[in-house]
Amino acid sequence: MIDIIKNNMAPIMFVGLIFFMLIGYPAAFSLAAVGMIFGYAAISMGLFQPDFFGNMTYQLYSIISNDLLLAIPFFTLMGAILERCGLAEDLLEGFGQLFGSVRGGLSYAVIIVGAVLGAITGTVAASVIAMGVISLPVMLKYGYSVRHTTGVIAASGTITQLIPPSLVLVVLADVMGKSVGDMYKGAIGPSIIQIVLFLVYVFVLSIFKPKEVPALPPEARVLRGAPLLWKCAKGMIPSLVLIFLVLGTIFMGLATPTEAGAMGVVGAFALAAINGRLTWDLTWQGMDSTMRLSAMVAFILIGARVFSLVFQGVGGGHWIEAMLSGLPGGQMGFLIVVNLFVFVLAFFLDFFEIAFIVIPLLVPVATKLNIDLVWLGVLLCANIQTSFMHPPFGFALFYLRGIAPPSIKSTDIYMGAIPWLFLQIALVVILIVWPESVTYWLDKGTVMNQQQVDDALKNIIIPGIGAPGAPGGFGLPGLDPPPIKIQ
Amino acid sequence: MQGLLSIARGIDRISKVFSLIAIWFVLLASLLSALNAFVRYGLNAFLDLGKSYPSLAKSLDGIARAYSDNSNGFLEGQWYMFAGMVLFGAAWTLKVNEHVRVDLVYGAVSERTRTWIDLIGGIFFLVPFCILMVTITWPWFYDAWRINEGSTNAGGLVRWPVKLVLPVGFVLLLMQAISEIIKCVAALTSNYVREFAYEKPLQ
Repeated sequence: MIDIIKNNMAPIMFVGLIFFMLIGYPAAFSLAAVGMIFGYAAISMGLFQPDFFGNMTYQLYSIISNDLLLAIPFFTLMGAILERCGLAEDLLEGFGQLFGSVRGGLSYAVIIVGAVLGAITGTVAASVIAMGVISLPVMLKYGYSVRHTTGVIAASGTITQLIPPSLVLVVLADVMGKSVGDMYKGAIGPSIIQIVLFLVYVFVLSIFKPKEVPALPPEARVLRGAPLLWKCAKGMIPSLVLIFLVLGTIFMGLATPTEAGAMGVVGAFALAAINGRLTWDLTWQGMDSTMRLSAMVAFILIGARVFSLVFQGVGGGHWIEAMLSGLPGGQMGFLIVVNLFVFVLAFFLDFFEIAFIVIPLLVPVATKLNIDLVWLGVLLCANIQTSFMHPPFGFALFYLRGIAPPSIKSTDIYMGAIPWLFLQIALVVILIVWPESVTYWLDKGTVMNQQQVDDALKNIIIPGIGAPGAPGGFGLPGLDPPPIKIQ
Repeated sequence: MQGLLSIARGIDRISKVFSLIAIWFVLLASLLSALNAFVRYGLNAFLDLGKSYPSLAKSLDGIARAYSDNSNGFLEGQWYMFAGMVLFGAAWTLKVNEHVRVDLVYGAVSERTRTWIDLIGGIFFLVPFCILMVTITWPWFYDAWRINEGSTNAGGLVRWPVKLVLPVGFVLLLMQAISEIIKCVAALTSNYVREFAYEKPLQ
């Protein structure tokens, strides 16, 4: 009996994880508890040394001294300030007036502003709340259908997830051991595809169901000519400055993502001050909620480290690898299974839990299957996006519910999200079948074929030893270079 | 029970005080990090400017040297504050019930069952976890304190303060766990109502 348990610790522990998590005690502590219980079991069965948990100190230290995790509070604080600094209002009013005359114009405006806000900030809450407060009443007033309105706002706020500088991509980069810059570059193509998908959907809707997305009546289009341009500029110029401050400095290699986030905080403060919105109340609320989110995330990570330390110790890594690498269809089979798995998991776990618990288990298998980790990361990011649009974690819907008037039914918000959910799933499928949409923007490594490698090797001259094959000199017998294997 | 509840309230107040420190670290860490990035790239530009104004250059040179001698300290200050933010803040986050849960079951059961889950989870999950963490992090801090361990980076900060943050944070969390356990028992045995009841996101 003991032997059976000993040999199957990993699967038993995995089942234990599911059970403990389902109880509903805070995930961070449930994770840690699973790790501890199985850790002590393993120690008592002689699988681990008694001082096994001493390793945790280094794990803890690596969490608190991790520079990338610092980006979490910075981007969150920046989002909290931006949410109410008046930028979204200027943008939405400007673009709303600009596109107002065509059918679906306000929807186009929301999507484009969602993309611009997404390129500035890294948190969904900021985008959804800012756009919801401003656009929801206007769109409903001019006869947009309730479901379409809530759907387009939630979905456009959610693209923030994918568009750099996204917090999700920072965390994924950290978990996968890739550079954040590469993750961001990889996400450029998919972000564009997603925005185009959304715009095309609104266009199709405006042809087949024009009543849902009417054009603004002429009396609502008060701005024309120069004042309209000024309004758009007033939104776009600070946006571009902020995009440069955050994203530009990362891409140019001037700042680390963490520092870029911090500069974004300062930029957001400056913008709020210029618009006369900067109050101590706003600042304090932002700091308060940022602290709680950071503590929550850091503790999930700590719990996940306790769990995975023990799980890897009992051979969980090999178990997962054996299961996943035996899938039919190689790369494609792995990707399809993993995406379905993560899609389903996203109904139960929030993003940080998936990132810290599940993804570290998948990375070694993906590496073995020669899957580009940047591609996989962006793909999973697009996949996890969907969880913002469906219950029970549907944060985008949750934020929207928080600001929508009571006259809007929750069912409308849910139903309205469905078409956009399918558009997001379409994006995932596109990314799977067309990996170049991610890798196109990455720096290509130098690629050499066998002949070039041979030539390069032949020309290596080692001082003191004659060139290979050359007679005389100090060439020692039997020192021919060994054959070099190159894939 | 009243006595225990007043202990719980006392613990809540301690957690509140540390949470205020944690909240301040959010702002200070952002400003420090922005300053670091700005100075690192701004300084060179200023120094170039300084070349044409010798008197300005002299004073700038002093600032530049003062900064670069301590730049590693400033960089490390960022994550020292991050450590303080999350570890001092975790107890209060527990108090306001903001540690995320998988609410498939928890969201569907009655408030009384939820209280039971929190009680059992607190006793069997959280308290042992905190005790384990305190026992492994305290000696680790103590070593750093004893040998006055410094940073491996030139001009970096001494290590014991950040290593002290870990056991302190887990002691705070342990105390808050006890406070929450008291509140669960009170809610199950009397008409006490827990303040931060769980709200299922969106029905």
